[in-house]
Amino acid sequence: MIFHDIGMDAASLAGPLDAKLEAVRAAGFSQVMIAAADVVAHPGGSASGVRAVRSSGLEVTGLEALSDFEGLDGQLHAYKVDVAKAMLELCAALGGRLLLVEASTSRHASTDPDAIAADLAKLALMAVPLGIRIAYKALPWSRTARNFRAAAELAMRVASPNVGVAVDAFDVLASGTPVDDLDVLDPQQTFLAQISDYMWHDVRNAEERAATAAHFRVFPGEGAHSDALAQFVSRLDTIGYCGNYSFDVYNDDYLRMPPEAVAARARRAAVWLAETVLRRALPVPNVDRLRAARG
Amino acid sequence: MTHATDREAIPEPQNPLGLDGIEFVEFATSKPQALGGALETMGFRPVARHRSREVELYRQGTMNVIVNAQPADVPRTVQPVERPVISAFALRVRDAQDAFRRALELGAWEIPVRAQAMELNIPAIHGVGESLVYFVDRYDEFSIYDIDFRAIPTVDPHPPAVAGLHFFGIVQYVGPDRTQDWEAFYSQLMGFRPLPEQVRFGIMPRGLVLESPCRKFFLQLIEPEDTARFAPMDEHLQRVGLGAPDVPAAVAALEKRGVEFLATERVHSSERGALTKPMLGGVMFELVKSDLTAPAK
Repeated sequence: MIFHDIGMDAASLAGPLDAKLEAVRAAGFSQVMIAAADVVAHPGGSASGVRAVRSSGLEVTGLEALSDFEGLDGQLHAYKVDVAKAMLELCAALGGRLLLVEASTSRHASTDPDAIAADLAKLALMAVPLGIRIAYKALPWSRTARNFRAAAELAMRVASPNVGVAVDAFDVLASGTPVDDLDVLDPQQTFLAQISDYMWHDVRNAEERAATAAHFRVFPGEGAHSDALAQFVSRLDTIGYCGNYSFDVYNDDYLRMPPEAVAARARRAAVWLAETVLRRALPVPNVDRLRAARG
Repeated sequence: MTHATDREAIPEPQNPLGLDGIEFVEFATSKPQALGGALETMGFRPVARHRSREVELYRQGTMNVIVNAQPADVPRTVQPVERPVISAFALRVRDAQDAFRRALELGAWEIPVRAQAMELNIPAIHGVGESLVYFVDRYDEFSIYDIDFRAIPTVDPHPPAVAGLHFFGIVQYVGPDRTQDWEAFYSQLMGFRPLPEQVRFGIMPRGLVLESPCRKFFLQLIEPEDTARFAPMDEHLQRVGLGAPDVPAAVAALEKRGVEFLATERVHSSERGALTKPMLGGVMFELVKSDLTAPAK
């Protein structure tokens, strides 16, 4: 398998959790990003959702997403700590080792870097006994971290070994961020790369960007920015990134298609990424054994 | 739930909790008599029983060991089974409620109060795996055991230690690449500090050793090696380290009592330390050369 580290995001697929998992597995993926809502909305209840994931044989790339956590005070903070604990426990129950945390968009959130770092450090400490890492992800419309540079700076300020960043290729592409900027990332503290493309050549304003992000993403190799995406992934590879790649393709059309048809597109994207971009070659079966036998 | 009010970067004091050693180590097992027998060969004596729960207190010298056979009623805590496991350790601190509040503030998981073991008001947080960490502050003038335990009649409540044995540390098995995470956990919550690689005690030198800020005991974090890295393993507290001023004398005294020590090419008793053979399916004690002796009570 040349795309063992590339997975699908279950939120890219329509249907109940079981159908999504089956589609991902049947398309040949070994891992899947799980949306918390899919598990807790399982018709048999949350425990059945957990069982479905566990018995699918798929590895859990991570659980998504804790949002609006950092920078709050008083009761709001206490409330979000409870939410975070529930998500961490769910993540652990699924066998997941990574919780995706989206930078806060709450207007109640402080933008003081020390306050944000203290909250993320607390989240990190909560995650340690459960063996979970925190992947902090910038959002363009966040108040606390609008791009991966800001997220990486905050993660560095936290200085907890289990806090790192998630980078979303869409955000980098759509904002016209030069691919060289990825060099600021510490590969050891970069925990997840989310990969998707989109069809338009230009995104004119923030509104259009938000709409595109939520409804019009496509799989890598299908969109208008294959070259830029290829550069993005190659650059991550060059700086020594060794985490997983997850296709976070949020597309309304795909939510009206059978999940197996969408998963088949994802598989094409995974092969494109692994073979064409990362230039991985499939090892010839038994070649080592034959060599050894020949002496 | 407490609120985050301290938003300034104030340098942490060296010993933020006023840590002062280990008050007790707790084992959970559904066969408390069998474990009791093993503990007695190690020199511990049963000194008290809990008034209402299946909990016993063993003691030698400055060391208290709790044997808990009470079925757990809290998620993510040890459910006693036949094979004994280390289910908790208790830290002596300046102010238990303060230590507890501070720990929660920093991100520790609390144990619901109603279910806290022994029914004492001993605050506890989740530690590694299913284990707990208690905070105890009443260890001087009157002890936590005076409240909920009944002394076993005719038994010396303070049996002397065999060969000067005292708590030295606890060995924790952690998952692959998890040492740093746990180092952060113990340093941020309790002020533990890593020792340089060349400073090691005993005969089992692997992993990272963390020193308590009171310098009275150590935690040793050990990751799986080689192919074991790929085997599923739950993180847990693996064994208790006992300090002895004279290890060969302690080994001799314990052997006379029936304790067996490992004597393989790799692991065997020496001046530096010794390791007991596993008892009851996994209980091990490690002896370590140490002149640390906690003040007598």
